[in-house]
Amino acid sequence: MTAAGSSGRALRLRASHRWPLVAGMLILSASAFFPLYVMISNGFRTNQDWADTQIGLPTTFGLAAFRRAWEGASIGDSFVNSVEISVGTVVLSIVVATMAAYACAKIRWRLRRAAFLFLLVWIVVPPLVLLVPVYIELSSLPLVHTNLLNSKLGIVLVYTAVNLPFNMYLMTAYFSSLPDELLEAARIDGANVPQTFAFVMVPLARPALATLAIFNFLWAWNEFMFALFILTSTGTKPLTVAVQQLQGRFDQDPTGLMAGLCIATLPVIGVYLVFQRHLVRAITAGVGK
Amino acid sequence: MTASAHSSIPEGSPGRGPVVRRRRAPLARLGRSERLWGVIFVAPAVLLVVYFLAYPLGTVVYYGLTRWNGLSPAEWVGLHNYRVLMHDPVFRLALRNNFLFALSVPIQLTVPLVLAYMIHIRIPGWAFFRATFFVPATIATVVVGIVAYSTFQVSGALNSLLGAVGLGTLEHDWLASAHTSIPLILLVVVWANFGYNVLIYLAGMAALDPALEEAARIDGAGPWRILLYVVAPNLRRVMELVLVTSTVTAFAYMFTYIYVITNGGPGFDTNVAEFQIYYQWFTNGNAGYACAMATLLLLITAAIGAFQIRILARRGG
Repeated sequence: MTAAGSSGRALRLRASHRWPLVAGMLILSASAFFPLYVMISNGFRTNQDWADTQIGLPTTFGLAAFRRAWEGASIGDSFVNSVEISVGTVVLSIVVATMAAYACAKIRWRLRRAAFLFLLVWIVVPPLVLLVPVYIELSSLPLVHTNLLNSKLGIVLVYTAVNLPFNMYLMTAYFSSLPDELLEAARIDGANVPQTFAFVMVPLARPALATLAIFNFLWAWNEFMFALFILTSTGTKPLTVAVQQLQGRFDQDPTGLMAGLCIATLPVIGVYLVFQRHLVRAITAGVGK
Repeated sequence: MTASAHSSIPEGSPGRGPVVRRRRAPLARLGRSERLWGVIFVAPAVLLVVYFLAYPLGTVVYYGLTRWNGLSPAEWVGLHNYRVLMHDPVFRLALRNNFLFALSVPIQLTVPLVLAYMIHIRIPGWAFFRATFFVPATIATVVVGIVAYSTFQVSGALNSLLGAVGLGTLEHDWLASAHTSIPLILLVVVWANFGYNVLIYLAGMAALDPALEEAARIDGAGPWRILLYVVAPNLRRVMELVLVTSTVTAFAYMFTYIYVITNGGPGFDTNVAEFQIYYQWFTNGNAGYACAMATLLLLITAAIGAFQIRILARRGG
């Protein structure tokens, strides 16, 4: 799919409609940057300056709030945890979803439609419904009797499972769009199913894999609810949980909180700006053609 | 599904390994190994789904029928929790708040449609709008919530702004009453999601046949008429999708906003069903009761989500 809207058709609105609309949309665009303005302008000033005027531009500039957040509130540790959890989720999600999607789209076996639907239906399960049972389950995993509470592996497994229906759907749609002749050619050349998968289909799916990676990275990076209950120690909790705990000290150190929000958010905005096109593709999967 | 002739290769072709046995299964001439690989490739996903989605959902339904504190063995009480639930004023208030948040659905359905259409017909600055509208959706919900909290709390940016422009009389403890905090949270949710919905609509519009709009234009229809009579009716499926996702958001994705912005307060006034599940489990130790509420929430969202699956299953696979 081309970037959404790029095939738009130019139509002219009457000027009396056009300019008020443009003005309104400019205000909306500005509001999109409001949280960034709040966290950046307040993260670099002192608490005293914040108390004097929290909406104006800072009259002081310093990195003290960042230092307090990074070291004092262990935002630094959480940054590393967030990276590990997000990367782990991306890798596991790609492997599991791509294999399943290949089986649902390109391997000819009797249950493939049933498997597709079985993996898809869980897309309607709200995460909060899973919170209590998953917490209980992680405290003593059935069959293996291991405790994965407060473990990054545990949360990676949960994240992968929760997003699997969507990821599998996305990849199945992509694989289905590739012509079967490619498989034929590979088979005639003597490749078996896993060889065809690894050396023909996966390289062809690189754009879809990038989409999957970006989407899951942002999702895992931004997830809060499961992490809040499952990851509780400094060694495991991600940025979302750490900044929320800074909120508890909001009255004593508002700028430290804002610095924490900057650390949690700016990398994500960077990722969005660089990989915008891939993200758009993930969001709009299933819409259109 | 049957194997189509052109794409099946007889067993024993090179690279398939030795053929032990040939059998004409209903899938005529399909390789046994192909079937085996199907199972192997789908197995990790199925295991993960069974282990972390199907099994936990089963336990939710089961524990909803027990009295249980989350630690000691559960005691079977049948439908007792559901009977209590029917008359629980706090849960009723929570569900009422969910319905209030669902009032955002018409806004989420229409405003992004108009915004997307403006980008679609290339209003001046359309490329800039397309890139910036999605920024809120990339910020973590918990971060959006904390910024909203810091803005609306009594010594927050909104009040200092009002004071600064001479509207000090309007200063207000916005989060101290559900009358002001619920509309504000609703606004935050709409704001956090509008870029996402604009993108969905844009993709739908890009996939429309340009000839439709062109024909209407030649017939003398203006942009608004084209939106109302040509574009919107042809986007029915996309609108269904936006309808489903924004309704589900109001019922099942409110926890983080509530937890961070009001923590359900004052009292239980800004409680939603999800928050009540957390509260009964985590604070009150009524895990069985919490699971009964979770089951109910699951039924509500699954009923709405059944549409979503129908929409998706039509396209994929």
